[in-house]
Amino acid sequence: MSAPPVLTYREVRKLFGSFVALGGVSMQVERGQVMCLIGPSGSGKSTLLRCTNGLETIDGGEILLDGVALARDERGLRDMRRRMGMVFQNFELFPHRTVLANVALGPRIVLRMDEAAARERAEALLEKVGLADKAGGYPANLSGGQQQRVAIARALAMEPEVMLFDEPTSALDPETIGEVLTVMKRLAEEGMTMIVVTHEMTFARRVADWVVVFERGLILEQGPPAQIFEAPHVERTREFLSHLGWEG
Amino acid sequence: MDIDLSPLLLSWQYLADGLGVTLLLSLLTVVCSLVLGFAIGLARCYGPAWLSWPLVFYIDSMRAIPVLVVLVWTYFAVPILTGLTLPPFWAALVALTLHIAAYVAEIVRAGIGSVRPGQTRAALALGFSRAQTVREVVLPQSVVRMLPAFGSIISIAIKDTAIAAVIAVPEYMKQSETVAGQSFHPFEVFTVAAIIYFIILFPITRLVDMIYVRLAHLGRS
Amino acid sequence: MRLDWSVVWQNAPALAEGTLLTVVLTVVTMLIAVPAGIVLAMMRLSGLRLLSGASAAYVEFFRNLPLILVVYWAYYVMPVAVGVQLSGFVTGLVALCLNVSAYNSETFRAGIGSIRKGQTEAALALGMSRWQVMREIVLPQAARRVLPVLASTWVSLFKDTSLVSVIAVGELAYTAMRIRSQTFRVLEMLTAMAAIYWALGYPQAKLVDWLHRKFPVSE
Repeated sequence: MSAPPVLTYREVRKLFGSFVALGGVSMQVERGQVMCLIGPSGSGKSTLLRCTNGLETIDGGEILLDGVALARDERGLRDMRRRMGMVFQNFELFPHRTVLANVALGPRIVLRMDEAAARERAEALLEKVGLADKAGGYPANLSGGQQQRVAIARALAMEPEVMLFDEPTSALDPETIGEVLTVMKRLAEEGMTMIVVTHEMTFARRVADWVVVFERGLILEQGPPAQIFEAPHVERTREFLSHLGWEG
Repeated sequence: MDIDLSPLLLSWQYLADGLGVTLLLSLLTVVCSLVLGFAIGLARCYGPAWLSWPLVFYIDSMRAIPVLVVLVWTYFAVPILTGLTLPPFWAALVALTLHIAAYVAEIVRAGIGSVRPGQTRAALALGFSRAQTVREVVLPQSVVRMLPAFGSIISIAIKDTAIAAVIAVPEYMKQSETVAGQSFHPFEVFTVAAIIYFIILFPITRLVDMIYVRLAHLGRS
Repeated sequence: MRLDWSVVWQNAPALAEGTLLTVVLTVVTMLIAVPAGIVLAMMRLSGLRLLSGASAAYVEFFRNLPLILVVYWAYYVMPVAVGVQLSGFVTGLVALCLNVSAYNSETFRAGIGSIRKGQTEAALALGMSRWQVMREIVLPQAARRVLPVLASTWVSLFKDTSLVSVIAVGELAYTAMRIRSQTFRVLEMLTAMAAIYWALGYPQAKLVDWLHRKFPVSE
């Protein structure tokens, strides 16, 4: 009854020199699923995300988007990237363009939409993330949380099949984390396929459909949040969570 | 195109003498312009206010006028103005020093300006005199930042000595020009000249680049 | 010492022509050397060893040669290499372009290199091609940082055009010195030459200072 998984990872390996960032990772992301990747720093979760849209190349195994292996050539990779939206820890809005232009840039340049249509789409998305009134401003005048919401709108403007979030709230002040998580939660409820690398355990517990725990480039354990957070199968998972102050 | 290096081999002594003059003129220019430039830079930062505008005028003028013009004016016009005749080498030294010292003065000013004012305040609060503050606190910190720019001064001086050829200073460029004209083999002569200059200048610019990188590691205070 | 400044006014048209040629040389050189500098910088920043090495070699070569030598060398070598006797103007222009594009290359390399990697990644993640990333995201931001340095290079170039006088190109320095030889009014002509360069160069230098203040390098 199921459609093919949006993303399939088979024995994915990635080396940086002699350092093994990913030592053979296998997992699947189903359509509409919200998957959270958690684990200590340097455990490979961000690396896996960056391999997913080709910002890093893998050294072994394969990654399949809708059953098709990730392209190796620039052109093929570009086409695949259009189907994946990415949100970065440092937002990476383009400082020399207005907020609206940032969101409309992808549709205009990559999807070759005309100005008016791109602008309409951008305005609708800014409305959706609650920042319609900031459309004419520049990123420098926005708070971190506001910038990240714009970044989410920018990624959504491409109408991706899957959204990749690389520690979206790690660079934010505690007060603004909430507004970003709220937007992400709503996206999840609307059925967007999401992979989220995060340290926000409460978010993972409440919003994720599936949680994958990484350690030293390998998957330590994966399962529904109830399992991971309340009754982990692996002792190390429990240790890691208590380390973070998670009261089971 | 046949390559004939014989004119070079015949005149190698002549060319080598020219190279000696290049190196000597460069060295003297660097030393003199560093001394003069430092003095001017310090005067700009710590000297009396009335001194400021003539010095700024001098510095900005040297930024506006080409080296060639300063060289030619020093060699041809000064004798008429003052009755004093300078041999080409010394005229070149004066002209190049005046030109480059302006650049050095700006480097010194920028270097001193990059030291946090808090440093000066702290030293004065400890009871240092102004002179002591500059000597013990400001200069040591600023000199480090000036080093890469001083390095490029050496490079600039060597390249500028080649322009002294136009006032017949017998440095390497002039000698090459003469040999090229007499031997009708300009290609070989000037190609060798290019190689020689490259061999001299390349290590210096390399060194300066490395110093820049090193300082980037130290970061700004 | 009798000074006759009228020789300057009498030759004003010639001096004006010389000045015009100086300006033309500067403008045309920059028009060629700025795009050339961008191309060289992108070659250097590309991952391809051959392009990167070629660009680096070119830049190192021209950074480490006196410009006056390049002018002479171009004058004697180009007719042999190209097979046609090119005018002094074109030869001088070639020498200036070769020299200035090397410096511009370093300027653009630093400017482009100063843009955070994350900016490029964010643009790539949207599905932009490398060229689109350059055009839309990197170069516009780099332009801000590059502008003051290009302005300084412009002023240096303006002064360096005086060097093509050695191959008899009729720019300001050559014209002034020619008139000096013809009229024997040495002090007057050389002072006039210096004054004209000063009058043109001084405001340009001030403009550069203003640009450095308006576009400071901040992260």
